[in-house]
Amino acid sequence: MRILIMGCGRVGAGLATQLADEGHEVTVLDTDSFAFNRLLPKFNGRRLVGSGTDDRMLIEAGIEQTECFIALASGDNRNILASQKAKEIYGVKTVVTRVKDPLRSELFARLGLHTFSPTKVGVTLAHEAIFQGA
Amino acid sequence: MYIIVVGGGAVGHGLALELQQMPDHEVAIVELSGSRASELRAEIGEMVVHGDGSEIAFLEGVGAGRADLLIAVTADDGANLVTCQVAKHWFNVKRTIARVNDPRNEALFLRLGVDSIVSAAGAVMAQIEATLPEHTIIPLMALEGSRLHVVDIRVQEGSPAAGQRLRDLVFPPEVLVSVVIGKSGANVPSGDTVLQVGDEVIAVIPRESDAAVRKMIAGPTEGA
Repeated sequence: MRILIMGCGRVGAGLATQLADEGHEVTVLDTDSFAFNRLLPKFNGRRLVGSGTDDRMLIEAGIEQTECFIALASGDNRNILASQKAKEIYGVKTVVTRVKDPLRSELFARLGLHTFSPTKVGVTLAHEAIFQGA
Repeated sequence: MYIIVVGGGAVGHGLALELQQMPDHEVAIVELSGSRASELRAEIGEMVVHGDGSEIAFLEGVGAGRADLLIAVTADDGANLVTCQVAKHWFNVKRTIARVNDPRNEALFLRLGVDSIVSAAGAVMAQIEATLPEHTIIPLMALEGSRLHVVDIRVQEGSPAAGQRLRDLVFPPEVLVSVVIGKSGANVPSGDTVLQVGDEVIAVIPRESDAAVRKMIAGPTEGA
Protein backbone atom coordinates (compact mmCIF):
# COMPACT_ATOMS: atom_id res chain seq x y z
CA MET A 1 0.00 0.00 0.00
CA ARG A 2 1.20 3.56 -0.71
CA ILE A 3 1.15 5.48 2.55
CA LEU A 4 1.88 9.14 3.25
CA ILE A 5 2.67 10.18 6.82
CA MET A 6 2.59 13.85 7.82
CA GLY A 7 4.79 14.53 10.83
CA CYS A 8 7.91 12.61 11.82
CA GLY A 9 7.71 12.87 15.60
CA ARG A 10 7.98 9.79 17.81
CA VAL A 11 4.66 8.38 16.65
CA GLY A 12 5.18 9.29 12.98
CA ALA A 13 8.70 7.85 12.89
CA GLY A 14 7.70 4.70 14.76
CA LEU A 15 4.73 4.07 12.51
CA ALA A 16 6.75 4.82 9.35
CA THR A 17 9.45 2.36 10.33
CA GLN A 18 6.93 -0.34 11.14
CA LEU A 19 4.90 0.12 7.96
CA ALA A 20 8.03 0.14 5.77
CA ASP A 21 9.13 -3.04 7.56
CA GLU A 22 5.83 -4.64 6.63
CA GLY A 23 6.58 -3.93 2.97
CA HIS A 24 4.52 -0.81 2.38
CA GLU A 25 5.66 2.07 0.22
CA VAL A 26 6.02 4.87 2.79
CA THR A 27 6.66 8.61 2.37
CA VAL A 28 7.25 10.76 5.46
CA LEU A 29 6.73 14.50 5.38
CA ASP A 30 8.02 16.92 8.02
CA THR A 31 8.74 20.64 8.06
CA ASP A 32 12.02 19.99 9.91
CA SER A 33 14.64 17.69 8.35
CA PHE A 34 16.06 17.08 11.84
CA ALA A 35 12.93 15.06 12.62
CA PHE A 36 14.08 12.34 10.21
CA ASN A 37 16.79 11.40 12.73
CA ARG A 38 14.03 9.63 14.63
CA LEU A 39 13.66 7.11 11.80
CA LEU A 40 15.62 3.89 12.30
CA PRO A 41 18.53 3.44 9.87
CA LYS A 42 16.75 0.51 8.22
CA PHE A 43 13.87 2.77 7.10
CA ASN A 44 13.82 2.51 3.29
CA GLY A 45 10.97 4.92 2.53
CA ARG A 46 11.01 8.47 1.17
CA ARG A 47 11.73 11.51 3.37
CA LEU A 48 10.46 14.90 2.27
CA VAL A 49 10.91 18.28 3.93
CA GLY A 50 7.78 20.41 3.69
CA SER A 51 4.38 21.23 5.09
CA GLY A 52 1.50 18.80 4.79
CA THR A 53 -0.98 21.66 4.53
CA ASP A 54 0.70 22.97 1.36
CA ASP A 55 -0.91 21.59 -1.81
CA ARG A 56 2.29 21.83 -3.82
CA MET A 57 4.08 19.74 -1.21
CA LEU A 58 1.27 17.19 -0.95
CA ILE A 59 1.35 16.66 -4.72
CA GLU A 60 5.13 16.29 -4.68
CA ALA A 61 4.71 13.72 -1.92
CA GLY A 62 2.41 11.76 -4.22
CA ILE A 63 -0.92 12.37 -2.49
CA GLU A 64 -2.75 11.75 -5.78
CA GLN A 65 -1.50 8.14 -5.84
CA THR A 66 -1.64 7.58 -2.08
CA GLU A 67 -4.08 5.08 -0.64
CA CYS A 68 -3.57 6.08 2.96
CA PHE A 69 -2.80 9.46 4.59
CA ILE A 70 -1.98 9.78 8.27
CA ALA A 71 -1.75 13.21 9.93
CA LEU A 72 0.57 13.13 12.94
CA ALA A 73 1.95 16.69 13.04
CA SER A 74 2.05 18.46 16.39
CA GLY A 75 -0.78 20.94 15.68
CA ASP A 76 -4.38 19.71 15.72
CA ASN A 77 -5.57 22.32 13.24
CA ARG A 78 -2.83 21.50 10.73
CA ASN A 79 -3.69 17.82 10.95
CA ILE A 80 -7.37 18.56 10.43
CA LEU A 81 -6.74 20.92 7.49
CA ALA A 82 -4.38 18.48 5.75
CA SER A 83 -6.71 15.52 6.36
CA GLN A 84 -9.71 17.31 4.93
CA LYS A 85 -7.63 18.18 1.85
CA ALA A 86 -6.53 14.54 1.48
CA LYS A 87 -10.12 13.36 1.71
CA GLU A 88 -12.07 16.08 -0.10
CA ILE A 89 -9.64 17.25 -2.77
CA TYR A 90 -7.40 14.28 -3.44
CA GLY A 91 -9.87 11.48 -2.71
CA VAL A 92 -7.49 9.47 -0.51
CA LYS A 93 -9.29 6.28 0.56
CA THR A 94 -8.06 5.98 4.14
CA VAL A 95 -7.36 9.13 6.14
CA VAL A 96 -6.39 8.99 9.81
CA THR A 97 -6.06 12.14 11.91
CA ARG A 98 -4.50 12.66 15.31
CA VAL A 99 -6.33 15.36 17.27
CA LYS A 100 -4.99 15.95 20.78
CA ASP A 101 -8.02 17.95 21.95
CA PRO A 102 -10.65 15.28 22.77
CA LEU A 103 -13.61 17.54 21.96
CA ARG A 104 -12.22 18.58 18.58
CA SER A 105 -11.43 14.92 17.91
CA GLU A 106 -15.05 14.04 18.63
CA LEU A 107 -16.42 16.84 16.44
CA PHE A 108 -14.33 15.98 13.40
CA ALA A 109 -15.13 12.30 13.77
CA ARG A 110 -18.76 13.35 13.56
CA LEU A 111 -17.91 15.35 10.43
CA GLY A 112 -16.47 12.26 8.76
CA LEU A 113 -12.77 12.11 9.60
CA HIS A 114 -11.25 9.06 11.23
CA THR A 115 -9.76 10.80 14.26
CA PHE A 116 -8.17 9.60 17.45
CA SER A 117 -7.20 11.55 20.54
CA PRO A 118 -3.97 10.56 22.32
CA THR A 119 -5.15 12.67 25.28
CA LYS A 120 -8.25 10.56 25.70
CA VAL A 121 -6.29 7.33 25.24
CA GLY A 122 -3.73 8.50 27.83
CA VAL A 123 -6.38 9.43 30.38
CA THR A 124 -8.07 6.07 29.96
CA LEU A 125 -4.81 4.10 30.30
CA ALA A 126 -3.66 6.06 33.36
CA HIS A 127 -7.05 5.65 34.99
CA GLU A 128 -7.04 1.93 34.35
CA ALA A 129 -3.51 1.60 35.73
CA ILE A 130 -4.51 3.30 38.98
CA PHE A 131 -7.34 0.93 39.73
CA GLN A 132 -5.77 -2.24 38.39
CA GLY A 133 -3.69 -2.73 41.51
CA ALA A 134 -6.37 -1.55 43.92
CA MET B 1 -25.75 40.96 17.73
CA TYR B 2 -22.85 39.09 19.36
CA ILE B 3 -19.73 38.90 17.17
CA ILE B 4 -16.60 36.87 17.96
CA VAL B 5 -13.41 37.80 16.13
CA VAL B 6 -10.64 35.20 16.34
CA GLY B 7 -7.17 36.61 15.66
CA GLY B 8 -5.78 39.89 16.97
CA GLY B 9 -3.27 40.63 14.23
CA ALA B 10 -3.52 43.57 11.85
CA VAL B 11 -6.84 42.42 10.39
CA GLY B 12 -8.43 41.55 13.75
CA HIS B 13 -7.22 44.81 15.28
CA GLY B 14 -8.66 46.84 12.40
CA LEU B 15 -11.96 44.98 12.65
CA ALA B 16 -12.12 45.61 16.39
CA LEU B 17 -11.72 49.34 15.87
CA GLU B 18 -14.50 49.37 13.26
CA LEU B 19 -16.84 47.25 15.38
CA GLN B 20 -16.28 49.51 18.40
CA GLN B 21 -18.02 52.24 16.43
CA MET B 22 -21.16 50.11 16.28
CA PRO B 23 -22.47 50.32 19.84
CA ASP B 24 -25.40 47.95 19.32
CA HIS B 25 -23.11 44.99 18.96
CA GLU B 26 -21.30 42.98 21.58
CA VAL B 27 -17.84 42.01 20.40
CA ALA B 28 -15.15 39.63 21.66
CA ILE B 29 -11.65 39.62 20.19
CA VAL B 30 -9.80 36.35 20.79
CA GLU B 31 -6.00 36.36 20.65
CA LEU B 32 -3.76 33.33 21.12
CA SER B 33 -0.59 35.15 22.19
CA GLY B 34 -0.66 36.38 25.76
CA SER B 35 1.59 39.37 25.15
CA ARG B 36 -0.32 40.46 22.05
CA ALA B 37 -3.59 40.06 23.96
CA SER B 38 -2.44 42.36 26.79
CA GLU B 39 -1.22 44.88 24.23
CA LEU B 40 -4.63 44.88 22.51
CA ARG B 41 -6.46 44.97 25.82
CA ALA B 42 -4.55 48.09 26.84
CA GLU B 43 -5.68 49.78 23.65
CA ILE B 44 -9.17 48.42 23.01
CA GLY B 45 -10.29 47.26 26.45
CA GLU B 46 -12.18 44.43 28.03
CA MET B 47 -13.48 42.93 24.83
CA VAL B 48 -10.06 41.31 24.23
CA VAL B 49 -9.79 37.74 25.49
CA HIS B 50 -6.62 35.64 25.64
CA GLY B 51 -7.08 32.08 24.42
CA ASP B 52 -7.16 29.51 21.62
CA GLY B 53 -10.15 30.29 19.41
CA SER B 54 -10.12 26.86 17.82
CA GLU B 55 -10.58 25.10 21.17
CA ILE B 56 -14.14 24.09 21.94
CA ALA B 57 -13.83 24.41 25.73
CA PHE B 58 -12.46 27.94 25.38
CA LEU B 59 -15.14 29.05 22.90
CA GLU B 60 -17.77 27.70 25.29
CA GLY B 61 -16.32 30.03 27.93
CA VAL B 62 -16.68 33.12 25.74
CA GLY B 63 -20.28 32.22 24.99
CA ALA B 64 -19.94 30.95 21.42
CA GLY B 65 -23.29 29.24 21.86
CA ARG B 66 -25.06 32.59 21.64
CA ALA B 67 -22.83 34.16 18.97
CA ASP B 68 -24.50 35.35 15.77
CA LEU B 69 -21.31 35.70 13.80
CA LEU B 70 -17.78 34.35 14.08
CA ILE B 71 -14.92 35.79 12.05
CA ALA B 72 -11.57 33.94 11.94
CA VAL B 73 -8.77 36.17 10.70
CA THR B 74 -5.52 34.64 11.98
CA ALA B 75 -2.50 34.17 9.69
CA ASP B 76 -2.96 30.38 9.99
CA ASP B 77 -5.38 28.82 7.50
CA GLY B 78 -5.70 25.64 9.56
CA ALA B 79 -6.80 27.61 12.61
CA ASN B 80 -9.23 29.73 10.58
CA LEU B 81 -10.88 26.72 8.95
CA VAL B 82 -11.13 24.64 12.12
CA THR B 83 -12.42 27.61 14.15
CA CYS B 84 -15.22 28.21 11.65
CA GLN B 85 -16.09 24.51 11.50
CA VAL B 86 -16.20 24.32 15.31
CA ALA B 87 -18.41 27.44 15.44
CA LYS B 88 -20.76 26.09 12.83
CA HIS B 89 -21.05 22.45 13.79
CA TRP B 90 -20.53 22.50 17.56
CA PHE B 91 -22.09 25.83 18.53
CA ASN B 92 -24.48 26.34 15.59
CA VAL B 93 -23.23 29.87 14.99
CA LYS B 94 -25.36 31.20 12.14
CA ARG B 95 -22.66 32.81 10.06
CA THR B 96 -18.91 32.26 9.78
CA ILE B 97 -16.32 34.23 7.86
CA ALA B 98 -12.73 33.09 7.37
CA ARG B 99 -9.64 34.80 6.10
CA VAL B 100 -7.82 32.65 3.57
CA ASN B 101 -4.07 33.25 3.46
CA ASP B 102 -3.18 30.67 0.79
CA PRO B 103 -5.45 31.31 -2.23
CA ARG B 104 -5.35 27.59 -3.06
CA ASN B 105 -7.45 26.97 0.07
CA GLU B 106 -10.39 29.11 -1.06
CA ALA B 107 -12.47 26.35 -2.68
CA LEU B 108 -11.89 23.92 0.21
CA PHE B 109 -13.07 26.45 2.81
CA LEU B 110 -16.32 27.11 0.95
CA ARG B 111 -16.89 23.41 0.34
CA LEU B 112 -16.47 22.64 4.04
CA GLY B 113 -19.17 25.08 5.05
CA VAL B 114 -17.45 28.40 5.79
CA ASP B 115 -20.08 30.95 4.74
CA SER B 116 -17.78 33.62 3.35
CA ILE B 117 -14.07 33.88 2.74
CA VAL B 118 -11.87 36.92 2.59
CA SER B 119 -8.73 36.63 0.50
CA ALA B 120 -6.47 39.49 -0.51
CA ALA B 121 -5.03 37.58 -3.44
CA GLY B 122 -8.51 36.47 -4.47
CA ALA B 123 -9.84 40.02 -4.44
CA VAL B 124 -7.06 41.20 -6.71
CA MET B 125 -7.41 38.21 -9.03
CA ALA B 126 -11.14 38.82 -9.40
CA GLN B 127 -10.39 42.28 -10.69
CA ILE B 128 -7.88 40.85 -13.10
CA GLU B 129 -10.06 38.05 -14.37
CA ALA B 130 -12.92 40.41 -15.04
CA THR B 131 -10.86 42.07 -17.69
CA LEU B 132 -8.71 39.29 -19.15
CA PRO B 133 -7.44 38.57 -21.73
CA GLU B 134 -7.00 41.94 -23.41
CA HIS B 135 -6.21 44.14 -20.46
CA THR B 136 -2.87 45.87 -20.29
CA ILE B 137 -3.27 48.25 -17.37
CA ILE B 138 -6.16 48.27 -14.90
CA PRO B 139 -6.55 50.91 -12.22
CA LEU B 140 -7.37 49.04 -8.99
CA MET B 141 -7.53 51.77 -6.40
CA ALA B 142 -7.09 55.51 -6.19
CA LEU B 143 -4.96 56.70 -3.31
CA GLU B 144 -6.81 59.58 -1.74
CA GLY B 145 -5.27 63.00 -1.76
CA SER B 146 -2.52 62.21 -4.20
CA ARG B 147 -1.88 61.70 -7.87
CA LEU B 148 -0.95 58.11 -7.22
CA HIS B 149 -3.02 55.06 -7.93
CA VAL B 150 -2.61 51.30 -7.70
CA VAL B 151 -2.66 49.53 -11.04
CA ASP B 152 -2.46 46.01 -12.38
CA ILE B 153 -0.37 45.44 -15.49
CA ARG B 154 0.16 42.20 -17.38
CA VAL B 155 3.52 41.41 -18.95
CA GLN B 156 2.65 40.46 -22.55
CA GLU B 157 4.54 39.03 -25.52
CA GLY B 158 6.89 41.65 -26.88
CA SER B 159 7.11 43.55 -23.61
CA PRO B 160 10.48 45.29 -23.23
CA ALA B 161 10.44 44.29 -19.55
CA ALA B 162 10.01 40.54 -20.14
CA GLY B 163 13.14 38.65 -19.10
CA GLN B 164 14.60 41.72 -17.40
CA ARG B 165 15.54 42.13 -13.77
CA LEU B 166 13.57 44.90 -12.06
CA ARG B 167 16.82 46.68 -11.10
CA ASP B 168 17.72 46.99 -14.79
CA LEU B 169 14.47 48.72 -15.72
CA VAL B 170 14.36 52.50 -15.64
CA PHE B 171 10.88 53.53 -14.55
CA PRO B 172 9.49 57.07 -14.46
CA PRO B 173 9.86 58.73 -11.04
CA GLU B 174 7.62 57.60 -8.17
CA VAL B 175 6.80 54.23 -9.72
CA LEU B 176 6.75 51.47 -7.11
CA VAL B 177 6.40 47.85 -8.25
CA SER B 178 4.77 46.27 -5.20
CA VAL B 179 3.67 42.74 -6.04
CA VAL B 180 4.51 40.36 -8.88
CA ILE B 181 2.04 37.55 -9.41
CA GLY B 182 3.64 34.74 -11.39
CA LYS B 183 3.34 30.98 -11.64
CA SER B 184 4.40 30.53 -8.03
CA GLY B 185 1.79 32.95 -6.71
CA ALA B 186 2.05 36.50 -5.46
CA ASN B 187 5.47 37.71 -4.33
CA VAL B 188 6.98 40.94 -3.13
CA PRO B 189 9.67 41.54 -5.75
CA SER B 190 13.31 42.43 -5.20
CA GLY B 191 15.71 44.08 -7.62
CA ASP B 192 16.65 40.59 -8.78
CA THR B 193 13.09 39.61 -9.68
CA VAL B 194 12.88 38.77 -13.38
CA LEU B 195 9.60 39.63 -15.07
CA GLN B 196 8.14 36.88 -17.26
CA VAL B 197 5.51 37.00 -19.98
CA GLY B 198 2.18 36.31 -18.29
CA ASP B 199 3.16 37.83 -14.93
CA GLU B 200 0.80 40.29 -13.29
CA VAL B 201 2.44 43.34 -11.79
CA ILE B 202 0.73 45.38 -9.09
CA ALA B 203 2.31 48.82 -8.88
CA VAL B 204 1.74 52.22 -7.33
CA ILE B 205 2.27 54.82 -10.03
CA PRO B 206 1.49 58.50 -10.72
CA ARG B 207 -1.43 58.82 -13.12
CA GLU B 208 0.62 60.79 -15.61
CA SER B 209 2.97 57.84 -15.97
CA ASP B 210 0.25 55.38 -17.04
CA ALA B 211 1.22 55.44 -20.70
CA ALA B 212 4.94 55.13 -20.07
CA VAL B 213 4.55 52.28 -17.58
CA ARG B 214 2.09 50.46 -19.83
CA LYS B 215 4.57 50.63 -22.70
CA MET B 216 7.42 49.34 -20.53
CA ILE B 217 5.67 46.48 -18.79
CA ALA B 218 2.72 45.47 -20.94
CA GLY B 219 4.44 46.05 -24.24
CA PRO B 220 2.97 47.10 -27.58
CA THR B 221 -0.82 47.07 -27.87
CA GLU B 222 -3.10 46.99 -30.87
CA GLY B 223 -4.37 50.44 -31.73
CA ALA B 224 -2.06 52.10 -29.25
